Amino acid sequence: GCPQGPRPVTSVLALAVTSEQIEHLHRRFKQLSQDQLTIRKENFDSIPDLEFNPIRGKIVHAFFDKRNLRQESDGLADEINFEDFLTIMSYFRPIEMNMDEEQLDRFRKEKLKFLFHMYDSDHDGKITLQEYRNVVEELLSGNPHLEKESARSIADGAMMEAASICVGQMGPDQVYEGITFEDFLKMWQGIDIETKMHVRFLNVDTIAHCY
Amino acid sequence: MGSRGRPPRPAAPRPPALPALLPVLAALAAGAAEARATSEGQLPGAAAMGTGTPPSPSGTAFEETRLHVFTLDYPHVQIPFEITLWILLASLAKIGFHLYHKLPSIVPESCLLILVGLLLGGIIFGAEEKSPPVMNSDVFFLYLLPPIVLDAGYFMPTRLFFENFGTIFWYAVVGTLWNAIGIGISLYGICQISAFGLTDITLLQNLLFGSLISAVDPVAVLAVFENIHVNEQLYILVFGESLLNDAITVVLYNLFKSFCQMRTIKVIDIFAGIANFFIVGIGGVLIGILLGFVAAFTTRFTHKIRVIEPLFVFLYSYLSYITAEMFHLSGIMAITACAMTMNKYVEENVSQKSYTTIKYFMKMLSSVSETLIFIFMGVSTVGKNHEWNWAFVSFTLLFCLIWRALGVFVLTQIINVFRTIPLTFKDQFIIAYGGLRGAICFSLVFLLPPAVFPRKKLFITAVIVVIFFTVFIQGITIRPLVEFLDVKRSNKKQPAVSEEIYNRFFDHVKTGIEDVCGHWGHNFWRDKFKKFDNKYLRRLLIRENQPKSSIVSLYKKLEIKHAIEMAESGMISKVPSSVSLSDYHEGKIKPLSPTEMENMREILTKNLYQIRHRTMSYNRHSLAADAGEKQAKEILIRRRHSLRESLRKTNSLSRERPVLAVSAAFF
Repeated sequence: GCPQGPRPVTSVLALAVTSEQIEHLHRRFKQLSQDQLTIRKENFDSIPDLEFNPIRGKIVHAFFDKRNLRQESDGLADEINFEDFLTIMSYFRPIEMNMDEEQLDRFRKEKLKFLFHMYDSDHDGKITLQEYRNVVEELLSGNPHLEKESARSIADGAMMEAASICVGQMGPDQVYEGITFEDFLKMWQGIDIETKMHVRFLNVDTIAHCY
Repeated sequence: MGSRGRPPRPAAPRPPALPALLPVLAALAAGAAEARATSEGQLPGAAAMGTGTPPSPSGTAFEETRLHVFTLDYPHVQIPFEITLWILLASLAKIGFHLYHKLPSIVPESCLLILVGLLLGGIIFGAEEKSPPVMNSDVFFLYLLPPIVLDAGYFMPTRLFFENFGTIFWYAVVGTLWNAIGIGISLYGICQISAFGLTDITLLQNLLFGSLISAVDPVAVLAVFENIHVNEQLYILVFGESLLNDAITVVLYNLFKSFCQMRTIKVIDIFAGIANFFIVGIGGVLIGILLGFVAAFTTRFTHKIRVIEPLFVFLYSYLSYITAEMFHLSGIMAITACAMTMNKYVEENVSQKSYTTIKYFMKMLSSVSETLIFIFMGVSTVGKNHEWNWAFVSFTLLFCLIWRALGVFVLTQIINVFRTIPLTFKDQFIIAYGGLRGAICFSLVFLLPPAVFPRKKLFITAVIVVIFFTVFIQGITIRPLVEFLDVKRSNKKQPAVSEEIYNRFFDHVKTGIEDVCGHWGHNFWRDKFKKFDNKYLRRLLIRENQPKSSIVSLYKKLEIKHAIEMAESGMISKVPSSVSLSDYHEGKIKPLSPTEMENMREILTKNLYQIRHRTMSYNRHSLAADAGEKQAKEILIRRRHSLRESLRKTNSLSRERPVLAVSAAFF
């Protein structure tokens, strides 16, 4: 399994999202679940715009991933309740102005962990070449003209870049197993993920509902 | 704009170019001045050196002229000759600066160019006793400004621009209005104090002055920000503001100018002014977009005559500019919109060579333009059209600074509520400090009709002082300030495929989550636009339309680049045998586990590096039995090395480096 730091309490996270936002998300949850208490994977099929998203599978998967739901066990949950829904949404909450360095760092790590879990589909804590290829193929799946070969070679090239960044000069007998979370952190160093990975919960248009 | 940042080779013998250059420049200028003076005084065609008598005006039949062995006919070539001399002068000055490689990092080029201009202006003034009439406002607006804006618009990072569009628009429109009215009214207040002797300047004149001096200038911003490398977000905010505020500057300037000339002002005129703003802005953008599409469409059919492809890019963009100017719309916005529209589609239609030509020619034109503008500003400063008034000038400067700072601060508090990434105090400070004035207000002030503005000279002096202050003091000190405040700098890394993959992945995640929440964010609109673009626009405007992924195009670009680099650095033809030798010594290097490596080898040998295959024949003779396996490993090693090199590479443009570094690794 992947190394876990001290787990923040879910209720503290929920407080970080304002009550207005919770209300709105609750309404959305009810729409998705069709007034049931839990959501299953099938409920996500009712979102029309999500169909065109090439990595739809991974996004839906992320909602049910037990690692994201901060549960001790591994694997996939069958259904999630509203609290779990909120937990997932809290990964996308905006940065608060009064956060100090340590909080910011933890904030950033949480978000990157979420993304890491999306890449690492077999839950072994490493992104192997095969998983990376999988990601690239899905990303490029919307393009009918592209051969599978190209997708694979792109993934291979990217993996080699990752190896160069993370391990640098490799010794004669070193084998690069895959991208660990630390390596992943290194690669996202230049990018402000904590400010970009944020969905504004204000100004929601209720036209975007599911049928 | 990157050509100016190139560090020259640290060669030891550096001729003292700058002092030697000055007499050359002086000679050129004096020569031009003198030639003009002499030509004005004499009859054309006749020369002092010619033999024979000058032809008499009546041209009597029997007074023949002998054949002139040598004639000097300056007026015939006067205009092109002078233009060429000026451009030559500007370019020589640029060479001069870059010979001292420390100089451009301390003092921005714009300052040095203005100084050169001042010097020249002084020389010409001394030679002719009148102000050199070089910078005509028409010349500036019609010939010198468009190339700079075109270059900036063509290479603008569109994605970042549109992400920050709201903020940019807010600063440009509301900020400029705030500044204009604030400066105008406070100056009027100062003028009311009779001790300063300014009471004859009316409120409207002050407002007009305020409107022309509040415009942040794109040329100055580009010149200064280019060297300090702040992060792209800040750069796009200041630069975008300087481009978009043209609309409001045009409107306010014309508005107040007409008001000054009208006897009574009715409410309807104010509404007309507001409506004018929308027409100027939106009209300019529409013209630009329309001509951009026409240009893209035209390039769809140019595959048989590749040679004139670059011409279309320049013609259509210039056409958009002057069409907008014809209707008194915002030319800057038109040409920017045209360039941004054209860029996407033209890039796919034209050949590689044409693309390179377009890029270099654009940069060359904009570089020359910018140099000329600053030199002319210096030259035009020297002269007799100045009127100094301590109060007016110093208060103008003071108010410009105060209102700009206040404006940025207040506006940012409001816009931060709507932004995903709030702007910190550091950002605000840099935005306020980076509000440089330049040639646009300079030219606008020269355009004021002297009949309506009896104190025009005072305005000119004040504008010049403000420009000099912002360009010199703010331009020179912004770099140490940026370092002192530890503003985030741009990290110009090589574009990596993995980064592109991450970015795209992330976009999709964000869009997906937004869809789940039922929230329409930026990503939603961007997605919608992309779908529309793919369905209709690309099919219409691009010749061989294949839906392309940015990941694939980037990957292909990088592959080509690597292959070219390797071929250029001679790696492929030079080092085959030594590589095979070192292969033995280095042992097996496994970047990935063996089964995976098997796969990669397969793919790599199949898909990539056709160039390598051709030269592999050398290796066959010196390689042992397992030729296929060795070949593939070799490719892998080379690729890894080159990747590492490229990742380690800083922004230097020297070409010698790859051969040295890589062959050192091999030996």
